[in-house]
Amino acid sequence: MTRLLYLIVTVTMLSAVGAVFLLAPTEKQMGDVQRIFYFHVASALAAGVAYLLVFVSSVWYLRTRDDRWDRFAGVSAELGVLFSAFVLFSGPLWARPIWGVFWRWEPRLTTMLITFTIYVAYLMVRSYGAPGERTQRFAAVVGIVAFVNVPLVHYSINMWAADQQLHPPKVELAPVMQQTKFLCYFAFACLFALLMRLRLSQEHLAARLQALLRMTAHR
Amino acid sequence: MDLRLEGVHKRFGIAVALTDVDLAIGVDTHLLLVGTNGAGKTTLLRLLAGLTGPSEGRVTIGGQDPRRSTQQRARLGLLSHQTLLYDDLTAAENLTFFAGLYGLGADAVDAALADVDLHDHGDARVGGFSRGMKQRLALARATLHAPEVLLLDEPFTGLDRPSARALSARLQQRTASTCVSSVLVTHNVEAAAGLVNRIIVLRGGRIVCDEPWTAGDGPRLQALCDHHQEGQS
Amino acid sequence: MSRAIPGTWGHARILLRKDLVAEWRTKERLSPMVFFVLLVLLVYNFAFELGGAALWEIGPGVLWSSFVFASLFGLQRTFAAESDNDCLDALLAAPVERGALYLAKMVGNVLFLLGVELLTLPLFGLFFNLTAGLYLLPLLVVFLLGSASVASVGTLFAAMTGHSRLREFLLPLLVLPVLIPALISCVAATGVILAAGVPGRNPPLWPAELTVHVGMLGLFAVVFTTLSWMLFDFVIEE
Repeated sequence: MTRLLYLIVTVTMLSAVGAVFLLAPTEKQMGDVQRIFYFHVASALAAGVAYLLVFVSSVWYLRTRDDRWDRFAGVSAELGVLFSAFVLFSGPLWARPIWGVFWRWEPRLTTMLITFTIYVAYLMVRSYGAPGERTQRFAAVVGIVAFVNVPLVHYSINMWAADQQLHPPKVELAPVMQQTKFLCYFAFACLFALLMRLRLSQEHLAARLQALLRMTAHR
Repeated sequence: MDLRLEGVHKRFGIAVALTDVDLAIGVDTHLLLVGTNGAGKTTLLRLLAGLTGPSEGRVTIGGQDPRRSTQQRARLGLLSHQTLLYDDLTAAENLTFFAGLYGLGADAVDAALADVDLHDHGDARVGGFSRGMKQRLALARATLHAPEVLLLDEPFTGLDRPSARALSARLQQRTASTCVSSVLVTHNVEAAAGLVNRIIVLRGGRIVCDEPWTAGDGPRLQALCDHHQEGQS
Repeated sequence: MSRAIPGTWGHARILLRKDLVAEWRTKERLSPMVFFVLLVLLVYNFAFELGGAALWEIGPGVLWSSFVFASLFGLQRTFAAESDNDCLDALLAAPVERGALYLAKMVGNVLFLLGVELLTLPLFGLFFNLTAGLYLLPLLVVFLLGSASVASVGTLFAAMTGHSRLREFLLPLLVLPVLIPALISCVAATGVILAAGVPGRNPPLWPAELTVHVGMLGLFAVVFTTLSWMLFDFVIEE
């Protein structure tokens, strides 16, 4: 199964890269740099999905107290932070030639940055807490608060930096660009699934190892 | 009132505190829990007090989970080696505060202070009390609401012999009244001897010995405890 | 013995009174916080050469950043009294709902923060040549809602970091990013209010632009107080 995923990710990623650089037409105003768009938006989407998963699995962990949901939440947060980091990296690269500077305190980018810091703090709670049920509970609580906060952050930054609104509200794309975008989404979805699967099985093994250690320590 | 543990496991991370503990404590049972450090005694007591939940199994008081039921928790009294008192408040303020939480008035506070010979110190801050006075006040706090179950976690720690004996006598007074049960965790077998009528030895999170005990036989109790603790390296 | 155990509100009142009495006696939270705000104002003064025109630009930011940093001191100590002699055990073994404990601690934090804000506002006015006047009245609303916002998540996270191995440095890392929406509204609202104090203007008592910021602040306070109250049970159990 994992092997199949590796294969799918390789194929879809290569074809996504091919489509972005060879197939999609050059954007008239921005030129080649616009090609970042495909990866930038796909990662932003992946990060959003990851944070949603953290929220859902945190709620579910508190309801069921099943360790598997806790691991799922933790792995999702890692992926969220990873993809957010890529968004925050690719954003400035794109911004430099278009907006003239690497960074503007622009609503969406700022929201992403703040959200990113909250989830980094979430990962710190997980890694600095003593392993065990209490840290899992704390993490779930932070995971829930963090997610509820996202719309508030977005809304208030919008208000705060209304004059800085630089992201276009809606983008009209040529059909080929549209198709390339969806291919990118699909490739990122596959990558997401693969990373998730790898980290989950790793965490699962770690948990089993811990259970074994517990048994032997108890003898 | 009935205290019950059914199939209780308790883990902290990879450490195991209790393994498959079944235990029923009925009315008029005065239980002594002994065992080496880390045997799970305090954990068992904290489970009964509703301060922590089991990893597996059920803990009930009067048929209900002490963590959920405020009604059942109102029937518990907790005395520990920590004072559970606020140093910045006076003795009377401490008792008034806790009395308020149980819905009791000022009369209960005066009676409780007098009962432990601290009525002259009601307006003094607890921070300035001696260890013995603090522990007397702690006892007054724990028994303010006439609890039906007394949970005692190393109450003699830090007391000199006369103070420990005096505390033991006061506890005996309270447990002698009917319909009270108690669970005592202590290493001070001498002070415990007069208080208990059942003894349980814990080792590595399991109950290894559970027998009734005739009160008053200190040396034999000590011998039993020593015997069961030697088995562990 | 007949007894009527108080409900959540009754318990919260008793707990809050206990905390206020202890604080009145020791002032161990209020005085360091006030002093800290004073020091931050000093530092900002040298960093930005405040006074005069700069006030309208960065005054609100100076005010709120010093409040927020000072509040972290207070939040750290939220559960200190309970952990000193394991008093938390006595509270949790008593017939007290966990929610009552959250309410009491949260309201206590609001009161401490309001106290700090009201005590240091004259200092701020003095240092930065603020003219006194009725136009400052809406500031009370902003202070109240701002403090409630800080205390809402602050109390929840203080319960996590206070009595566990999660070291205290985690509290600011958790609280600050979550607080940013509230902070933005506080700064914006304060800016609107201070702008009304420009000499020679006769502004309305409640400038219209204020409503949206105060509304946002109110929304934040309500959402996070409710959420934290719901989640507090999970944080406090062992």
